[in-house]
Amino acid sequence: MSPGSAMVAEIPWLWAGLSAYMIATLVSMWGVSPRYAGMPIIQHKTHEYIVLGCLALGVLLLATAIGARWVRIGHGPWISLFELLMSQLCSLGLIFTLLYWRLPGFRPSAVIVLPIMWVLGSWVLTLEPTASHFPATYYNIWKWSHVGLGKLFLALLLAGVGLAGVMILRTTRLGQSWFRSMPSDQVVDRLAWRFMMLALVFDSLMLIAGAVWAQDAWGRYWAWDSLETSAFLTWLFLAIGLHVRLTYKVPHWVSGVIIIGIFCMAFATYFGAPYISPAAHKGMV
Amino acid sequence: MFKVLRRLASLKITLVGMVLLITGSVLIYGNPADVPMWVVVIPLSFLAINLVAAIITNKRINHQPGLLVFHVCLLGLVIVAGFGRLTHLDAHAEIPIGTEFSADRLLEVRSGVWHSGDLDRVAFIQGPFTVQYAAGLQRGLTHSHVMVKNSTGQWIEKVIGDDRVLVIEDYRFYTTHNKGFSTFLSWTPDGGQPVTGVVNMPSYPLFDYKQDNHWTPPGTQLDIKFWLQINAGLTQDQAWTLDARNSSAVLVVTNNDVRRELRVGDRIPLPGGELQFDKLTMWMGYRIFYDPTIQWMFFIAVAGVLGLGFHFWQKINLQPWMEDEPEEPLSEILPEPIRPSITQQPITQPKKDQTMPISTSSQDLAATSKGRS
Ligand code: HEM
Repeated sequence: MSPGSAMVAEIPWLWAGLSAYMIATLVSMWGVSPRYAGMPIIQHKTHEYIVLGCLALGVLLLATAIGARWVRIGHGPWISLFELLMSQLCSLGLIFTLLYWRLPGFRPSAVIVLPIMWVLGSWVLTLEPTASHFPATYYNIWKWSHVGLGKLFLALLLAGVGLAGVMILRTTRLGQSWFRSMPSDQVVDRLAWRFMMLALVFDSLMLIAGAVWAQDAWGRYWAWDSLETSAFLTWLFLAIGLHVRLTYKVPHWVSGVIIIGIFCMAFATYFGAPYISPAAHKGMV
Repeated sequence: MFKVLRRLASLKITLVGMVLLITGSVLIYGNPADVPMWVVVIPLSFLAINLVAAIITNKRINHQPGLLVFHVCLLGLVIVAGFGRLTHLDAHAEIPIGTEFSADRLLEVRSGVWHSGDLDRVAFIQGPFTVQYAAGLQRGLTHSHVMVKNSTGQWIEKVIGDDRVLVIEDYRFYTTHNKGFSTFLSWTPDGGQPVTGVVNMPSYPLFDYKQDNHWTPPGTQLDIKFWLQINAGLTQDQAWTLDARNSSAVLVVTNNDVRRELRVGDRIPLPGGELQFDKLTMWMGYRIFYDPTIQWMFFIAVAGVLGLGFHFWQKINLQPWMEDEPEEPLSEILPEPIRPSITQQPITQPKKDQTMPISTSSQDLAATSKGRS
């Protein structure tokens, strides 16, 4: 945010939520560091509950930020990059928190996932919170399922990226010591691709809901605009990833690289494509 | 034959096809009208052949029901989308308030070679419409009133706009951002009967600054130029509603060196006849879309995802989430009937004098299962 920008209702909550994520990031890093491995708090994994608590708190604070903005400008976080990032920070955080809670063996991968959240967090802080215009075609109820499914899809990819990072870093000594308490690479790989498979289900559903919305709103279900092309490529990348893994016996670190490649494509779809071309959904409103 | 199919079914070919499809998608991006559809049709056909071969020959697809449904639906989607392109119609129409839609009003028509819809049976009359704008000329909701014939032949009113589409005879009519003012004119030739016509001005408020057009009355050589000075209450810094009923205009008519300003009801003599400005109203620009396959595409896509979900559900249930366990051989991920189940076979104590069954212990059954894989 530029120094002159107004201190609007959502900003304090946004900062508070991001701070909670920051504490979660630092505590999870402390937790994997071999230097502190002997401390009772680490040995008993108490630090993981601190991370879990901070994550849950961060999600709540970000949800409050979204609510405050919604009340201020009269519509939900659907339009501007500022809103999209804020909303993703909340939903990615929520789904990651649930996975962190339910899958204890997966927890150390937070040291990879949370810094990615920080990329989004720093980015949102550079943007102006100016009120956005709510286009007529966004009243459509398919928007809810399209966006909701998309959030699940991205969150599952992000969880996969955490595990991909573990597999890649474990090719180094440092990585092996950080992720010493995690299951074998084989199990990590299997779990990562489980997330990818679920991501494919939600990605496919997101594309279907999006096509129905596009048909209702603009009279065409598919038009190869930048967002649609990019979303289709992401889906295809996922298909390629799954088939490569079935066709060749890929080493775990390569499997990790493939997952990160798919995530980068998805990242470009979510945060790049809608803003590079006037012909994207944004221009169609 | 089967050998050839097996070769065609190779997953390596699938990967090549997918990379070709990526290339095609990148090429077609942004300008589907200028790039030939072949750039995606060829990779899709290539993948379709590969997929048909895999469905027939590859047990890993055709013995796993969820995966089979998913891949068959993928194939179905490609076929149905292709059929849709052959039967579709895409067009625009500008319909002035108070006039009836007719097929000869269609502009920029693009249709598939097998298009055979009943466009002549589509009937509706354009009623008044409003378009709301937020401050800064940001377009909001459109409410377009139309009169449509119901099943008993009576005219009923419907309000459409934005994502509320008008569907008649499977043709879908969408309001667009394209709308403007219409001038109804009548031309009375010297000693003849009056004829009426409508001149649509350019899109408003997009071309607020250039509301001009020209007209040649029937049976004359005249080229009458019009310029419409509109007062529609447009304000940049406040919310505003565009509505023909709250708008007025002066029609500036120019022919050679004659220049006259007309208000509604005014008339002007011109060489060969008299021109009258009858009425000021607006036209709504519609996008018309016809594709008999869209519902099918939706159902096939949903069925495909259900199949995929089922496949993953089965696969995920076969192995724990976090514990270390060796990768399961293929026989383990196959569905129940193919996988010999240990629990399904009651282990009975052989009675005296009876021969021992072939497998009585779980180790034996596991060995049988290995043998199968
Ligand atoms: C077009 C040609 C295609 C062919 C010939 C093909 C073939 C196959 C085969 C043989 C399998 C089973 C492999 C095994 O179990 O070892 C499979 C699995 C799969 N395919 Fe395809 N496929 C095609 C396209 C696609 C596409 C476009 C997608 C879209 C995402 C897709 C998604 C999947 C998924 C998710 C699996 C299951 C992965 C798993 O269980 O780990 N396939 N495919």
